[in-house]
Amino acid sequence: MRRRFALALACGLLAPPIWAADPKPAAADSARTEVPYRLTETKHVMVRAKINGKGPFNLILDTGAPAVFITKAVAKKAKAEIDEKGWANFDSFVLEGGLAVEKARGRVEDLFQLEGMNGMGLAGVELHGVIGYNVLAKYRIQYDFTTDKLVFEPLADFVPPPLVPIGGAKGQGGLEMLGPLMKTLASLMGMKPNFATVPRGFVGVEIDDTDGIVVKKVLPGSPADKAGFKSGDKIEQIRNISVDDGRDLARALAKAGVGTTLKVIVKRGDESKTLTLELGKGL
Amino acid sequence: MTMRAIWTLILLASVVVSSVVTAADPPAKTKTAATDPKADEKPVVVPFELLSSRHMAVQVKLNGKGPYRLIFDTGAPMNLINNKIAKDSGVLDPKTKRPTFGMFGTMGAQPIKTLEIGGAKLEKVSAVVMDHPTVALISEALGPIDGIIGFPFFARYRMTVDYQKKELTLVPNGYVPGDYMDGLMKKLMDAQNQSKDPAVIASAGLWGLVVDKDADDEADGVVVKDVLTGGAAASAGIQSGDRVLTIDGRWTDTLSDTVAATAKVHPGREVVVVVKRDGKDVKLTVKPAKGV
Repeated sequence: MRRRFALALACGLLAPPIWAADPKPAAADSARTEVPYRLTETKHVMVRAKINGKGPFNLILDTGAPAVFITKAVAKKAKAEIDEKGWANFDSFVLEGGLAVEKARGRVEDLFQLEGMNGMGLAGVELHGVIGYNVLAKYRIQYDFTTDKLVFEPLADFVPPPLVPIGGAKGQGGLEMLGPLMKTLASLMGMKPNFATVPRGFVGVEIDDTDGIVVKKVLPGSPADKAGFKSGDKIEQIRNISVDDGRDLARALAKAGVGTTLKVIVKRGDESKTLTLELGKGL
Repeated sequence: MTMRAIWTLILLASVVVSSVVTAADPPAKTKTAATDPKADEKPVVVPFELLSSRHMAVQVKLNGKGPYRLIFDTGAPMNLINNKIAKDSGVLDPKTKRPTFGMFGTMGAQPIKTLEIGGAKLEKVSAVVMDHPTVALISEALGPIDGIIGFPFFARYRMTVDYQKKELTLVPNGYVPGDYMDGLMKKLMDAQNQSKDPAVIASAGLWGLVVDKDADDEADGVVVKDVLTGGAAASAGIQSGDRVLTIDGRWTDTLSDTVAATAKVHPGREVVVVVKRDGKDVKLTVKPAKGV
């Protein structure tokens, strides 16, 4: 029976039908919620959700899937109870931005598409599942990739038609093998997904970039303060990269983590000074 | 790693990711007809059919032919059409030879002169031509379904999906989806010599704020360790000991997530920051300065 549910996400994440009835009460709240999203490197619309207070987990918005799908690992982390048909009812399901989805439920299954993408790190972020019809249909959802939020508005007096069984489930037409195959290939090629990020080191100067990079203010106690920066200093060079504008500055600091020591040449009045800056923690 | 192996890998990758793509891709530049969106352009309303599989189906004309019934899928990074309608609409010359290693009748991405869905009309888009097995199965169960409409279409619009009215509402927004193939190719090439080091991410503006979190701290948010005098965080009233819960609606449960949230806030933009202070949620407004 599990096979019947093995959803082929046809294109990308298109999933074939599901069968169990899934009655849904209407959402109560009528407010619009702005939900932050990220467009993955595979052009999937990803949102984050906390399930039973755990997470956040990275889920793709997928009208090609009939329901929420989460991996077994996520279900375990969220301590979700799985019934004999592979469904879990979530005690809470909250999207980033603060949207609590009432009585959300989902299937617990390791989708081969996600397995494949994660194995190669293709999306640039680890994916934990998808959000499909059974949750998406409760909301009027606005997508606009020129803004940094989606907008969810509950369809208050609407009960989405339930999921219905359709006959002749035949798995996914032979695509199932691709997830594991990609994973194997990835390891053969030495591809190791690398999703970790670290913060850039902190300087602690407010800048004016209208004519070169000029220090407008040095925050007291910051690494820049300790290194002896003064307001009015014009930053000319950072570790052999000459700095003329904001882009140069960003480039010079691009890979500098906390604790990095940099030689910075500044122009103070008519004098050129070399300062030794140790980047710290901070924003 | 030979070129050949990389191409094969792309084929496999894309079958899963997008269920598509071969080596034989033309340089399909995805440029919309609506390149200059007017601010108050009239929305186009496209009705959709809710299939009993709970997929959405839309009527699509290709090069003026059709309409064909395709699944609308926000989880699809590419448009996809089967060989039948590709030939019927002239997207594919019937004499085109199949790539030797094509799976599922894959013909790669092909340019389409016009793609119309209701009143929404795009020129010079591309679709991957492939007989996708899952589409075929759904088609068998629910009547003809000849492909998938995905990201390269809907990304060009501010789109509202309403399952109650069974409508997509589309307003051109000037967004250019970019070339998925190029991106995937680059990714695979880079993967060969990718850094083992974590990526470095940075705040877009200067907050004058130091946050941290102990390894065994499992509560929501990060802890404010220092608020620098004269900085944006100080002006907003953030205090040492506060727990920052969200920045502009984004969760800040780890240091990385906090930086990722501030990376989205450009200098001079005011955003709401929610902190927990003495057990209560406090909303503050922060306007980060230009700085590093």
